[in-house]
Amino acid sequence: MNSELITIGQASKMIGVSMQTLRRWDDAGKLSSVRRTKTGYRYYKKEDIENYNVKDLFKLAKIWIADNLGFEPRQDFYCSDSSVFQARLSKMENELGKIKELNAIFPLITAIAGEIGNNSFDHNLGNWPDIPGIFFAYNLDKKNIVLADRGQGILTTLRNIEPKLINHQDALYVAFTKIISGRSPESRGNGLKFVRDIVMHNKINLFFQTGDAYLEIKKRNSDLDVKKANVDFRGCLAVIKF
Amino acid sequence: MTIFLKKFGTTLTGRQFGKESFSAFLPSLKRVKNDEMVEIDFEGVITFTPSWGDEFLSPLLNRFKNKLVLKNTENPSVQATLKMLEKVHNTKFKLSEKK
Repeated sequence: MNSELITIGQASKMIGVSMQTLRRWDDAGKLSSVRRTKTGYRYYKKEDIENYNVKDLFKLAKIWIADNLGFEPRQDFYCSDSSVFQARLSKMENELGKIKELNAIFPLITAIAGEIGNNSFDHNLGNWPDIPGIFFAYNLDKKNIVLADRGQGILTTLRNIEPKLINHQDALYVAFTKIISGRSPESRGNGLKFVRDIVMHNKINLFFQTGDAYLEIKKRNSDLDVKKANVDFRGCLAVIKF
Repeated sequence: MTIFLKKFGTTLTGRQFGKESFSAFLPSLKRVKNDEMVEIDFEGVITFTPSWGDEFLSPLLNRFKNKLVLKNTENPSVQATLKMLEKVHNTKFKLSEKK
């Protein structure tokens, strides 16, 4: 049993709601804090926060990726290394396989989540700027999967083989379109081209952002429209809807 | 020789895992005789991706070239991955004929 106490600020980041909302929920008995008598500040049991059923995974991932200092996400959404991710991906594959309507495409959904998640590890191993590993969460009722990393981002890693790239928009476009042959100076699996190809031919939607560039791909959408986002962050954020 | 991929797992994703799988299998490749065909059997594989495939299949393709034959490739993620690897390496995998 985890009886560790965390601050209201930490709790707020871990479940993606404001401190004001947490205070309101506390007063209403929806999610109770533990008050320390001397200071009067609200603290939360870490296990209560870890067990809280987060409704908006995308919002939570955005808070995590955009945080200035960086913090470890909730344990059930955090894959600190690729072996943890591999195990959780297999679990997701198993759960997706039980959904009858996804019978024909669940290996493809697992494959694209696998490529996006593994890309994060492959291109940041030994170079994580702060928090190593990825955020990986899914909601099978809402049919979405959210992946995020606080790594170097596509522009930085792709510059190793395409030094002329100058902005996130161009880097994102290249990552999703240009087949890179050969192995040096960096191994690239062409995984994002694979992801695009699968999304374009199946009933799957993808949102992907790195830096201040994002794109959305859906079935039969062959044009790749990379847009400039209002929010800029290091790393990558992806949402797969099916 | 037939290599049964399900013996490495049914969710074959990631370069790291692909590299580990290839390294683990490398000693067994010494048993392949000159002119012997090497068959890769995908039966039982549920999820297959280009990152794992590039680390495992690409070195086999480089070494055995047209003696490398693939079998039971019907799974959609296997099909999509083979298509991508063919583009990357500008080649065409040989599929074993159905009996």
